Order: sequence, then C-alpha cells, then structure tokens
Amino acid sequence: MRVEERLYTLRYKRDEKPHLEIKDQQTCNKCHETYKSPCIIVCPANVYSFVEGKIIVSYENCLECGACKIVCPFNNIIWKYPRYGLGISLRYG
Amino acid sequence: MKYDAIVIGAGPSGSASAYTLAKNGYKVLLIERGSEPGAKNVSGAMIRESEISKVFETKDIPFERIVKRVRLIFRSKDDESEIIVKPKSKLYTISRLKFDKWLAQRAENAGALLITKTTVTGIEGNKVMTERGSVEGDKIVIAEGANALLSMSLGFRRELKNEETVLGVKEVYASTRNEVEKRFNLQGDEGESWRIISDYPLPSAGFIYTYKDSIAIGVGARVDEIITRGIRPFELLDSFKMPYVELVKGFSLREYSAKIIPENGFPSFKPCEGSVYVTGDALGLVDPLTFDGIGPAIISGYLAGKAENCYSYSKMLFEAREISKVIKSRPLVKELLPNIGLYSHLVNDFLTSWVEGDFSKLRYYKSSLGKLMKHLILGLGVIE
Repeated sequence: MRVEERLYTLRYKRDEKPHLEIKDQQTCNKCHETYKSPCIIVCPANVYSFVEGKIIVSYENCLECGACKIVCPFNNIIWKYPRYGLGISLRYG
Repeated sequence: MKYDAIVIGAGPSGSASAYTLAKNGYKVLLIERGSEPGAKNVSGAMIRESEISKVFETKDIPFERIVKRVRLIFRSKDDESEIIVKPKSKLYTISRLKFDKWLAQRAENAGALLITKTTVTGIEGNKVMTERGSVEGDKIVIAEGANALLSMSLGFRRELKNEETVLGVKEVYASTRNEVEKRFNLQGDEGESWRIISDYPLPSAGFIYTYKDSIAIGVGARVDEIITRGIRPFELLDSFKMPYVELVKGFSLREYSAKIIPENGFPSFKPCEGSVYVTGDALGLVDPLTFDGIGPAIISGYLAGKAENCYSYSKMLFEAREISKVIKSRPLVKELLPNIGLYSHLVNDFLTSWVEGDFSKLRYYKSSLGKLMKHLILGLGVIE
C-alpha cells in the first residue's frame, strides 16, 4: 500500500506556519552525500524528499512522531509542534 | 492568573497528576496541545487494570475488549512458533482517544480546569508560557510525552539517540463487531492480543489488538536498525503484515499513525528540580520488556501530584514497582534486542525438537550457553 493511501485516512488541520524547518540547505546536501538523508528513510509519512539537490519538507503530512529530529546527524531540523492544536488529529490513536 | 498546580499534557500521566492534585484540593490547570485529550497520542494499546486501579476507579473504564488470550509468536524467516497464554489478571484493549478523554474527564470531575488546543512554549520560574499567554503555578508537572521539547530545553533530559529509540507504526482496520468476533473466535466483550517477535526483515516487535469493531496492527523497530538497513517504516509494516492479510481482508483502513518509544530515561533523566516535575514518556518510562507505557505513566503522574518535594518524588519513583521494573528491564532488553534472531530460532528449534522427539538440533546452542546464562542472570534481576 502506498503511503499516500495511508495518509488519506487521517484528519489534519493545516497550520499555515510550517512547524518543521530546515536550518541550512547546504548541510542537507552534505548529509545526503554522506548519510543518504536518514530523515527521508525514517519518516513514516514521506515528509522529506530530495528533489533537484534540495530537501523538500511536506510538513502538512507530518504524523508528529519526532523520529526525524532524532536521526538528523547535523541537528539541522527545527522541530516544533503545530500551533493551537492544529496538525494531525487521531481518532483511534 | 495563578494556579496551585499546572499540568502540561492531558495524556495518561498528566491526567493522573491533575486528578491527584485536584482531589487533594489544589486549584489545577491542565493544558493539552491537541484538539482534545488523546488526539495526538498513539499506542497499541493494552492496559493492566491492576495498575490503573491504583489511581482511578475503574468500573466505567471505556475498554474495547477484555483480553482473554494473548498469542506470543516467535518468527524468523522460515520458522514460526506460537504460544497461547490465558491471562489471569484483567487486561483491556483500549482506543486512545476514548481512554485519554475518560482520564481527563476524571481530572475535570475532581475540579481541574482543562484547556485544549494550547501548546506550552516555555517555563520560566513558576511561569508557564503558552501561545495564548502565560499563567503561574506553584507546582508544574511536565507530562508532555516522548517528544519532550520542554524537558529538553530545560535540561531535564537530552534528546534520545538512534540506538535507544524505537519507532512504531500502526494501522487500524475497521469492519463490524460480528466480523471481528468471527475472525478471532471471540464472544461478547472478549478480546485477543498478539505479540509477535521477529528477526525478519529486521529485529522487531509487533502486535495485533482486537478492538470492538476494528483491529489494530503495528510493529516497532529500533531507529538505528531502520537507518542502517534502509528499510522505510511503512515497508517494515507491509512486510510484517504479510502473513496476516487474511485477518484484515475486506476490512477498511481507518487510521495510520506512528510514535517513537524511548528505551532510556529515568534515572539517567532528571525527574524534577525545584517545583517542576517530569513524568511518563517525557521521563522515558516505558517498560521495554512488556511494552507497558501507560501503567508507569499513570503511576508517575500520580506520584508527581502527591510529592511534596523533589527529593520525595525521586524516592517514590525508585520505590514504585511499576517504575523500578522499567529501570531493571533496560539492561536485559539491551542484551536481548540484538539477539532476537537467536531467541526466535531457539524457541522454534526447541518446540519442534520436543514435538519430533529429537533434541539433537539444539546442539548448535551449546556455543551460546555463556550468552544465554548472562541473559538469564540479567533476567533474574528483573524479578523482585
């Protein structure tokens, strides 16, 4: 099953302000070369992708698990919670 | 605005803390970042009545099913063995949204004020800053869960490392009550829980839980294993699910979720300082051996609510059975995890040998006797 099909089952209320940010793109390039971007591997929601030499962050799909901030070898991800209860809302949990 | 106590996070630990404080006459504010308690929380989930009843009256607990059978399955690439255990004590499966709401409701009924959709952004002295303004509290309990941004910013603990973090992914498939009962051969409120230990495609622990009209299926593996082997979490879940597709055939996927599970914490994480207390997942209180996080969370929340000072909280944490078993289990699990393959094979070979009446297959394990003894001794340390 594709990740997208899984994500369709979820309720999100989008925070206009991204709750995930990359501090420095250059560092991501270095990470991609050396470590193959562990944030891409570990993310269960395909939030991170490497497109044309740049890390793209689809923060709207985030499951808020927090694994990406742990694996980032350069501590290059600014990881916050979405504001005002926005972001994911689970029904079963 | 000034409160006697402010509790951050309305999960099991936070609600237990707010409930304990409010019941003892304190003016309590309970702050939750989700749209409602449980909206941001993920777990299997199975709970033990004996632990919950230490803090809450459990007669109207919103359980899904009472677990009558636990299937323990040991899987390796080519073998599989299964042991069925009939639990003597009361175990329930629960859905987190309903359960967490029920817990927060207990705190509210006792007099705590719950506000949702509010994220705490910082603590300075006895001032708690939120995105909606600040409040003051004489006592502050941080029950913020595994992604403990506040606790880390205040120096109570550090970020987890890859090798001490498990990433769990889970799906919920729904159908009708009847269909769930038919597939698992259940009657009435009866439920079944599965525990699956596997070394393929990587060392992992999975579960299947029966809810009223749905099934939860999930698997967890250590983050360092996921990264090293380059297996994406959803690929791991798909591979784990393969043998069980018939169980969910025709059911519809209702939810996909993920959570990190700390495998390190108290006492290496600091539980309190001055009038600020840390509890539950934020303090790393998940039992790695039994996968029980909700029980220790509730007990630690209760103790933080009861504690008169930091020293007595630390002391009570060490003395509480539910917390000490978490601490004692960690060294054993650290040994067991890389050896999941060995044990999956051992259990399978032992059972097949027994059935076939030929134990010669077990010769291979002679060379592992030293290792097995070490694990046995560590295991004995877990027993009180």
